[in-house]
Amino acid sequence: MMPYVNEYDTPECKTLAETAKKSIRTPDSLGLDRCIQCGACTASCPAARFTDYSPRHIVKKVLEDDRSVLESEMIWSCFYCYSCNLRCPRNNSPVTIVQVLRQMAINEGIGVEKLAYFLEIGEYLAENGASKIPGPGVKNMERDLGEHWIKFKKNLESIRVELGLSSRDIRNTHGEVQAILEGTGYFEREKWLKAKIQEKRLHQLLKNQCVKKEDKSGDFSFENDRGYTGQAALII
Amino acid sequence: MKTIEDIPDRQLLLFKSCMVGQEYPGVETSTRYVFDRLGVDYCINDEQSCCTGIGHYTDIFEGLTTTAIAARNFAVAKRCGYPNITCLCSTCYAINKEACEVLNTNTEIREKVNSIFREQGLEDLVYEKDDMNVRTNFYHAVEILLSKANKIQEQKKFDFSGVKVAAHHACHYYKVKYLDVLGNPENPQLIDTIAAACGADMVRWYEDRTLTCGMGFSQLHLNKNTSLQVTKKKLDSLQKAGVELMIHMCPNCHIQYDRYQPVIEKEFGVKYDMVHMNIAQFVALSMGADPYKVCGFQTHSVPLEGFLEKYCQ
Ligand code: SF4
Ligand code: SF4
Repeated sequence: MMPYVNEYDTPECKTLAETAKKSIRTPDSLGLDRCIQCGACTASCPAARFTDYSPRHIVKKVLEDDRSVLESEMIWSCFYCYSCNLRCPRNNSPVTIVQVLRQMAINEGIGVEKLAYFLEIGEYLAENGASKIPGPGVKNMERDLGEHWIKFKKNLESIRVELGLSSRDIRNTHGEVQAILEGTGYFEREKWLKAKIQEKRLHQLLKNQCVKKEDKSGDFSFENDRGYTGQAALII
Repeated sequence: MKTIEDIPDRQLLLFKSCMVGQEYPGVETSTRYVFDRLGVDYCINDEQSCCTGIGHYTDIFEGLTTTAIAARNFAVAKRCGYPNITCLCSTCYAINKEACEVLNTNTEIREKVNSIFREQGLEDLVYEKDDMNVRTNFYHAVEILLSKANKIQEQKKFDFSGVKVAAHHACHYYKVKYLDVLGNPENPQLIDTIAAACGADMVRWYEDRTLTCGMGFSQLHLNKNTSLQVTKKKLDSLQKAGVELMIHMCPNCHIQYDRYQPVIEKEFGVKYDMVHMNIAQFVALSMGADPYKVCGFQTHSVPLEGFLEKYCQ
């Protein structure tokens, strides 16, 4: 399948750094070239504290135009907490750069299977004008949170009424949100994503039947990436 | 920097939050209860949609979609005459503020968004440069409460003196647009000041005060182990500081702390003594609101009965 280029998040440029700077996801004032590799971002980073992830290192890879960063599991570990954004003394913003890298990876079909979990958010928004925890998330929450939460969810409508709210939080968008998602090409991209996920699953299935699973975790030239496979995704 | 004098109390569009609506609806009703008593002029408009934050930060929505949806919500706010968007969720706040900046400064994207509106027959949504002001049209409900801290103090019915309380300020309020925070973004004190006005005994510094809640959008779902480790770290610090009540300002943090505290207790074999509330629930409670019919505490996972019996009799 052809890659799907999403031109505002990932404008096509000669280098990773240029794409990051031009992207709608990063601020105009992005201090990428000003990065002094001081590590304040990594020191503030919750993901760095508990995994081998390092925003300083990601920024370095981008400055070196090392595209292997797109294949690293690392970029999927960020919490989007913006601590690095606040603490960087050079007005760089590793968090928004990581967002661009994820979008670039997605364009090439890397990591798309992770999006399967969240994909129904788009259709739900178009229909109801609101977002919700996606179905697989609800399943995992039911398992984790148990009876108490399941019962609360069953009673949500009557609780809302008791509080003086409408029974369901549905917005009256006159079909405008649906029309906007059509106009921006969201649905087209969603279709591409679904097909790509399907293709990858099929591919994986065939591969599992033929060869023993190879370990693809290392060799992305990250100091610490060797052996880091990310964590197993929860069931979908 | 924003200053307290800049915070409006008129023409506020109380921006509905999906996660509040589905998990903690009492946060919305508490905010309304408090705003009503403080004489704040606000409206709620059903035409306003989700900000896209959940989809944007799980990498589902691209920037163009997020910006266009925001532009539509700005049109809704202006049309009803309540242009001061006031959010219950820190991510709605950050998304709207960022989208406004893009629309005002990036001509190419503004024109693209407007051409989409025209193509779809939505001319009345067209956004003109500076229709909204990044600095003066976007607020978090906690800022409004802070600007009324004196009034809150006058109107409080219960006094929470002696209750050990700690605050968790939401990352997307003070770490995204950090130049527009009320006070010092390195040490935000909004919740502390409001809760202290209700008499609470604030634990101003605890270890990991600025650590994120751990939800991390896709992280809770895809890397649950790390996500809960982060949350555990925070709860450990609070336990060590003897905190009885943790107050936050964002439904995502609320889910992470309140829903997952029992899960962490089970999975990590620990035990915590603190309960959770949103700052609007706490203020409403201290003004005498019904804990169930206004604050909606029946939706919480960590039961509040013990706390209420002890302090609200
Ligand atoms: S804090 Fe900023 S300057 Fe320092 S390493 Fe990180 S991105 Fe570079
Ligand atoms: S936003 Fe991502 S990179 Fe930045 S501090 Fe948070 S987890 Fe680390």
